[in-house]
Amino acid sequence: MNLGTRKILDRSFSAVGIGSIAVMGIALLIVIVPIVYNGLGAVFFTETIEHRNMLYNEFGKGDKAELDKENAAAGIYRKEAYSMLSRFEAEMETMEPVRQQEFRSKYGPVQTALRHLIGPLPGDEEAILTRYRYGQTRWEKAEEKLHELLYEAKWDYSDPNSMAKEYFVSRAAEFEGTSLVRLFPYVENNLDKMLQPRFTVYWGFLTDSSVDSHIFGGVWPEIQGTFFLAVGAMLFAFPLGVIAAIYFTEYARDGFFTSMLRSANSTLAGVPSIVFGLFGLAFFINTLKVSESKSVLAGSLTLAIMILPTIIRAAEEAILSVPKTYKEASLSLGSTKWNTIMTVILPAALPGILTGGVISLGRAAGETAPIIFTAAVSVGSAIGIADVLSSPTPALSWNIYNLASEHEAAAEIRHVQYGMVLALVSIVLLLNLSAILLRARISKKLKG
Amino acid sequence: MKTEQACSGNDTEINSIVMSEDVRKESGRSGAFVVSAGKRKIQKFARTVGESTLLLIASFVAIVVFFIFYFVAVDAIPYFQLRGFAEFFTSTDWYPADDPGKFGALAIIYGSLMVTLGSTLLAVPMGVSAAICLSDILPFSVRQYAKPVIEMLAAIPSVAFGFFALVIFAPLLQTQGGPILMWAWWVLAAPFLLLAIIVISDLLTANMEDQNKRQMMSTTLLVVFGAAALGFLYWVGSVLRQIEIMSGTNALNVSIILSFMALPTIVSVSEDALQAVGRELREGSYALGSTRAETIVRTVLPAASSGILAAVILGIMRALGETMVVWMASGNSSHIPEPWFNYLEAVRTLTATIAGDMGEADQVTGSERYHVLFAMGLFLLVISFFSNLVSERIVVRQRKILSGQ
Repeated sequence: MNLGTRKILDRSFSAVGIGSIAVMGIALLIVIVPIVYNGLGAVFFTETIEHRNMLYNEFGKGDKAELDKENAAAGIYRKEAYSMLSRFEAEMETMEPVRQQEFRSKYGPVQTALRHLIGPLPGDEEAILTRYRYGQTRWEKAEEKLHELLYEAKWDYSDPNSMAKEYFVSRAAEFEGTSLVRLFPYVENNLDKMLQPRFTVYWGFLTDSSVDSHIFGGVWPEIQGTFFLAVGAMLFAFPLGVIAAIYFTEYARDGFFTSMLRSANSTLAGVPSIVFGLFGLAFFINTLKVSESKSVLAGSLTLAIMILPTIIRAAEEAILSVPKTYKEASLSLGSTKWNTIMTVILPAALPGILTGGVISLGRAAGETAPIIFTAAVSVGSAIGIADVLSSPTPALSWNIYNLASEHEAAAEIRHVQYGMVLALVSIVLLLNLSAILLRARISKKLKG
Repeated sequence: MKTEQACSGNDTEINSIVMSEDVRKESGRSGAFVVSAGKRKIQKFARTVGESTLLLIASFVAIVVFFIFYFVAVDAIPYFQLRGFAEFFTSTDWYPADDPGKFGALAIIYGSLMVTLGSTLLAVPMGVSAAICLSDILPFSVRQYAKPVIEMLAAIPSVAFGFFALVIFAPLLQTQGGPILMWAWWVLAAPFLLLAIIVISDLLTANMEDQNKRQMMSTTLLVVFGAAALGFLYWVGSVLRQIEIMSGTNALNVSIILSFMALPTIVSVSEDALQAVGRELREGSYALGSTRAETIVRTVLPAASSGILAAVILGIMRALGETMVVWMASGNSSHIPEPWFNYLEAVRTLTATIAGDMGEADQVTGSERYHVLFAMGLFLLVISFFSNLVSERIVVRQRKILSGQ
């Protein structure tokens, strides 16, 4: 091969390597950016008056006098729409039966769409589920619902070779020649007056509990549950892990037993997370019976076992990276081995050990599979600190799965799901970031 | 203790008593200086007790590993006692809710293998080249910024990846699948084809004597091959463009996401392996006139191959053991795709089955349905145990070889 080709090969080899790292960075961005963008939408968004009503009724937040004023302003425009409905109902009574039948079947969906948009119509019974007591609380959702009111979605099955296509039919055209035809342009033009949209920062998303399984409200029970589980796991795993690391680095003699312990450690690190869940169910709940059924305690214990190898490894590395001279100086001054470990080695290794602990804390907070069978429930209110021994808790990681895959209105509450993912990702990434910064400081310090 | 031996002389003993009292006043750590026989016995006893406590706590990990195997096996064995091994490993009928239930896990095991293989095929080339880049190509200052990116990728919770796969990636794949596949093909294949053409035309003309003739010949070859390659690229691209993906939650989606989750493991372990190869080998190769790429491919990679193999095994285990992504985005349909390599169909994996079916299985009475999930767990556990053992052996052996023992 001539030199030119070899050079090109060399360059492109480097390019492939840099390209792979770039792909990783881009993948990180592709995953993070939509989550951050849409997740912030759970806190920063344009709220409607329905949201303010909901906050006042469910959480007692807001100013009653001002709310009444706004409701009155919106009511003027709503009243007009309602009167159009009642006029059309009266008109239907006068029609001949066949025509009336036809219009009745079309009129039902219009009413439903309007209910979704601005809340219960006058004369409706008080809905049992909270979600039916309010209209759209978010302006961008309201615009989607407006489209549903104005157009009927139909599916085109005419071509059997390809997938069915969706197309829209204007409802106004369907009611051509009746008094209801005026409703559609009226709602379209006056929606902002009916709903009084206003940009808001809803910090309550992080501190409120959820209403009607996350249709409204915030994610505080999940955040608290995640906190309990992760901190509980650390309470068990951190002391054990650090002590085990001290043994491995300072006391263990090379031999069969030590190497067995070490390979047990790496085996534990490689166990699939779902198997930890099975073990937690079979051992902590069914055998030890630490609680009647799922509980925070059982979940924390399971998570603790899962993060133990990580903590041991990090602590070992941190202890080994303490310069030998520290230890020798301490021993030569006459202190005992244990004394040296407690007063010289551990303080010097502490930042490194903490780094490992912080990363493990993030891992425990983010992990889902081990808590499915041991601690997590889909719906539930925040539990008190006294209940951690016996009651299960909602947790961010599990509820993200649950809301995205199993919730009956999963597509309606994407903003809540994104908000939860953002909360979880930012907890985990902030923990990791602080670990990275901590480590950078240590390496600077060790260099001198 | 060394200090006690040093105290044998009279003068030094007095000095040390004085010193020890000083120390005692200040921080109370002088117990080891001068002690009576009785006190020493107590000390020795305390030390033994302390060390054995430490040992006990350190062996906690081994006890836990033993317990995990024991308790998963205890709940798995009843299944095999009741139904034997044949159905589990050979049948594809998975109807656990029927009465009597059918527990053929072959399709599920196949689904696990499929997504694991898919993610390995994507992650290994990328991970190894990224590791090479980190250890040999990038300067230290850039590496400092690249490493946190990889750590962040490793830190993102699996459920967040699963959410991304389900809510963002799957609809995209479903509506824009053809164009995405086509662009991916162009971006990935075009540079490599170009490189291959350059190398081939160079090799074919390598024996020519006359410089000018050679130059011309090689240019003609480049143009001819280039046109052929463009045609090939375009043809495959248009075939890919025609593909209509019925459901975005399929094996391809999961494989791509899992490969990003396995990447950090592969990168960090193989980077360690590459850095364990000493400077001497690299410098020797440079001295013989190799380029950097040749040095890496012919010298460093062979020396680090076993460590990289260990990295690959760990990466595979990460993908095989992952639960949330496959549960949310693999489609969960337990059949073997038609044809068997069709990555655009939905699959179901072992981990997702355990996670999804446990809620419906009767947890208290311990039905067959409950035990079969533990059987799957045991299967995963055994695989992960042996691959861990193998990768550990490999790493230890490589370390020994490289350190010249």
